[in-house]
Amino acid sequence: MRRCQLRKKLRCIENNLHKAMMIPAIILFSLFFLYPLCMGVGISLTDWNGLSDARNFVGFSNFLKFFTDKRALHAISVTLTFGLISPVLLNVFGLGLALLFQNQSKSSVLGRMMVYFPSIVSPLIMGYIWLVILAPSTGVLEPALNSLHLDFLYHGLLGDADHVMILIIAVNVLQFVGGPMMIYIAGLNAIPDEMIEAGQIDGANAFWSFVYIKWPMLLASARVNIIMNIIGSLAVFDIIVALTAGGPGYATESLSIYIYRVSFNGQAGYATASAVIMFAIIAVPVLIALRFLKSQD
Amino acid sequence: MLKKTNIGYSLLKGLVCLICISPLYVMFYLSLSSSTYYFAQEWFPKEMLWENFTTAWTKAAFNKAFLNSTVITLGAVAVLVLISASAGYAAARFQTKVNRFFFNLMLMSMLVPGIINTVPLYTLMRKINAINTYWGIILLLACSSLPFSVFLYESFISSMSAELEEAAMLDGCTRFQSFWTIVFPQLKPITATVVIMQGIGIWNNYSQTVFFLQDKNYHTVPLAISRFFNTYGADYNLMAASAVIGLLPVIIIFIILQKEFVSGLSAGAVKG
Repeated sequence: MRRCQLRKKLRCIENNLHKAMMIPAIILFSLFFLYPLCMGVGISLTDWNGLSDARNFVGFSNFLKFFTDKRALHAISVTLTFGLISPVLLNVFGLGLALLFQNQSKSSVLGRMMVYFPSIVSPLIMGYIWLVILAPSTGVLEPALNSLHLDFLYHGLLGDADHVMILIIAVNVLQFVGGPMMIYIAGLNAIPDEMIEAGQIDGANAFWSFVYIKWPMLLASARVNIIMNIIGSLAVFDIIVALTAGGPGYATESLSIYIYRVSFNGQAGYATASAVIMFAIIAVPVLIALRFLKSQD
Repeated sequence: MLKKTNIGYSLLKGLVCLICISPLYVMFYLSLSSSTYYFAQEWFPKEMLWENFTTAWTKAAFNKAFLNSTVITLGAVAVLVLISASAGYAAARFQTKVNRFFFNLMLMSMLVPGIINTVPLYTLMRKINAINTYWGIILLLACSSLPFSVFLYESFISSMSAELEEAAMLDGCTRFQSFWTIVFPQLKPITATVVIMQGIGIWNNYSQTVFFLQDKNYHTVPLAISRFFNTYGADYNLMAASAVIGLLPVIIIFIILQKEFVSGLSAGAVKG
């Protein structure tokens, strides 16, 4: 009798097991994302150093400190410069390359692969590769340009605070332009041929056919690209670590690197407050972009 | 007229490819030359110093790094696929309030960059003794790729018809069994995408491993390379060799599975 009941219970659990299928994901997500996120808000209001048990509630003074720290403000401007210019260039070049490599010929397929290939390389390694090429006095670019009598092109790029940002953006675009390109190609290939033919019959040349037919059909791809690129670029870390380590001085220190450094400096409370601010800084452009792209539909 | 523009396009294509590949060529070139190189004079390395690779391999302690990276990547990808496939199924087929809530929360979490959680995550990992352990970093990396994978599975399963599952249930399978025996094998294309894209991301991960794997014995390939670059900063040929070694597994996987890469990228894009 008892055994029968137990069996019934087991059977009942088996039949309802599917209702629990989300639970492992929920546990993992809550433990490693939601819980630290909530804890972080609490920590950001304290003067905790990250190690000791002592922590005092200090209200919003960490946030005030952030906005009076010149280095932090500079990190914001670096992050925004990088994070807003990179996505624009990634999308412009990504779209251009997509139009160039759109057709299904063998050379285009091979070309796409070559453009996409750097994206799968770790940004850290890619940064080091460029460091080897560009480093002042020891890099390979300088002697190469010297021997070609083109040395005026080279100004010790990585040591020069004004030029180094351009360089980092260029390296980043060169590495990651393949992803947006692939997504634009997928979008272009989803446009029915009849639409483009109809445009040609109506006398549209390549330019107008792009403006009136292709671009409106590419908005979905553009949305994915723009949002993903803004998020990725505003969190930039590896590539700057490898290329300049935030230097010269603090000239190229992004917010991620700043937070990384202060969090190991016995300023856990302050670092977390900075992270909360960084989240706000990222959320604003992303939400604006989402709003804007929605209004385009 | 038409021909001229065609030649122009071909030249442009060639140039683009050249620019994309050139840094890798420089790297390969340097990795085979001696420590005093004359790059500008020669297009191919004069002498092929293959021993650079063995030197870099031992100096950077790549034995251990490759083992660590392999264990961590395989572990995290396995956890990720099992958990996100079943969560994607739940989100697509049983839209209860709880499931919907967490699914939307995961979508939104994709907007939050990883570094934001660093300090509280570090305290959490220390509390549960997960720092410098395989299981800790495996679960953490699986979690950071979780939202996007769940999203991919959910959109794929939503577009599948439920007939086969229902037929299996008529034959006496429970819903749970029918998922693993009938549905999961059908998810192969999306599983391939998740394995490749997230697998490469996990293999390359630096911004999280640098925090949680500070013990040298647990260093992964990117960490080993970064340590190597910091200690042997002057030996460009060895640094290049170590970078080439670090790239090789990714290059090989990319060449073998390039078709899946493309289909995966478009799968994520069209639905997005």
